Amino acid sequence: MLKWFECVDERRPGIICSRVRLVRNWNQYAFPSRLPQKESLEMLRRLELGLQNLGSLDGKRYKYYYLADMGELEKKSLQERRVFNSTIASKKTPAGLILSEEEDTGIVLNGTDHFRMQMISPGLRLEELWARCDQMDDYINARFPYAFDKKYGYLTSFPTNVGTGMRASAILHLPTLSMGKKFHGLVAEMGRFGASVRGVYGEGSENYGALYEVSNQKTLGLSEKEILDLVNRVSLQLIAQEKQVRKMALEKHRLEYTDEAYKSYGVLKYARRLSAKDAMVFLSRIMSGIADGILETEGDCAVYRFMLGIQPANLQRVSERPLGKEELDEARASYIRKELPELL
Amino acid sequence: MLCEHCKIREANIQYTEVINGVKTEHHFCAQCAKEMDFGPYAAIFDSEFPLGKLLSGLLGIGEEQDEQNKAHQVVCPACKTTYEEFIKNSRFGCPECYGVFDLLIGENIKQLQGSSIHKGKQPRYHYQETGASFSVEDISAAGSGIPGGELDVEEQIQVLDARLKEALAREEYEIAAQCRDKIRELREGIGKC
Repeated sequence: MLKWFECVDERRPGIICSRVRLVRNWNQYAFPSRLPQKESLEMLRRLELGLQNLGSLDGKRYKYYYLADMGELEKKSLQERRVFNSTIASKKTPAGLILSEEEDTGIVLNGTDHFRMQMISPGLRLEELWARCDQMDDYINARFPYAFDKKYGYLTSFPTNVGTGMRASAILHLPTLSMGKKFHGLVAEMGRFGASVRGVYGEGSENYGALYEVSNQKTLGLSEKEILDLVNRVSLQLIAQEKQVRKMALEKHRLEYTDEAYKSYGVLKYARRLSAKDAMVFLSRIMSGIADGILETEGDCAVYRFMLGIQPANLQRVSERPLGKEELDEARASYIRKELPELL
Repeated sequence: MLCEHCKIREANIQYTEVINGVKTEHHFCAQCAKEMDFGPYAAIFDSEFPLGKLLSGLLGIGEEQDEQNKAHQVVCPACKTTYEEFIKNSRFGCPECYGVFDLLIGENIKQLQGSSIHKGKQPRYHYQETGASFSVEDISAAGSGIPGGELDVEEQIQVLDARLKEALAREEYEIAAQCRDKIRELREGIGKC
């Protein structure tokens, strides 16, 4: 079974993936930070039992994990693949995870809230993701009454999630637009609309790979549909602008652009050592090269998959041992060399 | 760049030390930084949720000392979270906290979220607008309404058991008794099978 990040959305290659995350709490227990160990374990057992047939809802194959039973490396690599965030990865109190085989659907149990449902899909498919989330939400709700307030909506540990408990987001590849002087102003403007735009792997010029995540800032006072519309609109707007500046750049400097794409491919295909920064920069260039039809590979090439694959925990998992800095650079180069498809 | 301490994780914290005019730069990952002694700055690494801290900032500013002292004495009776703790962590302890601290923080939530009224989805099950609790009958109804299958007997018992406990907590003894009877009925059903 392919993981979600091994698939490509051909229609809009600049939009890597979209995600809907929903936070809920069971009204019978205190929020995780105030829940004693014994009750946490009791609750987790009840949740596991109540959700053991989750697969009957969508036909997916789910696995249940206790976070305490997982190794640090495994947790770290799930964090790199965005199954959960660093807060949950480093959580000391009992927590569980229900994850589909494709890793596109997951529920973190007793993380920062009792339920944190997350669905990811390649490309921009927020409505579809929300429809599935909505269904899963009802499935859980039929078994576990939620903490809900008429005024504040779904009650959550952090007031930054209260209301819909929903965060919709999309990861965009904006290599040319983000180089421009106007980008900073553009991001600020999106902020005024209520959408935040942040570098996925760092801020400002340090965001190697030029991946940006658009998400809704607010969760209260907007309906789910309004949140989806906002993230959709902003994503499409940014990607349209990227397309425009890229078209202009291609018209003016086609040779330079083509050369850059091929050189980057060459380095990735033959290098024996690659730092995280270099790998991200070259991967970003072949990502644009493929999207613009300059590079053609044998079969689909989901470049984002490599960006996830070259992160430290995943490389160590593949190598089955802890690696020092030099060794990581070597492992990174050999991983890409092995996995990168041939050019046509 | 890798963390110079563990050499495994990427460094995301840059620490500049100036001792007797000599400046040295260090790069650590958040986990290693947490374990080191940074004196008064250690608190920075303890934060679990930077966005939440923003709210703490908003809340802590510009309040009268007196008012603050009084407000600090407010405690959530259900989970014992104090207002002070809430300000420190920007985190509620349980659903009841929202009601308890509403007067104190309602305005701040509005400021943070741009609104204080929920407009989206409402729970499809176990919720009535009046705020009154559920009835026992809606369990089987809930089961049949679920896409992909009904609740099996074990699950129904589990849901009823949860409701029984909640009804007791709310001192709604009639509903508790109904739940108990229904559980007994279901268990007897299993026995016969």
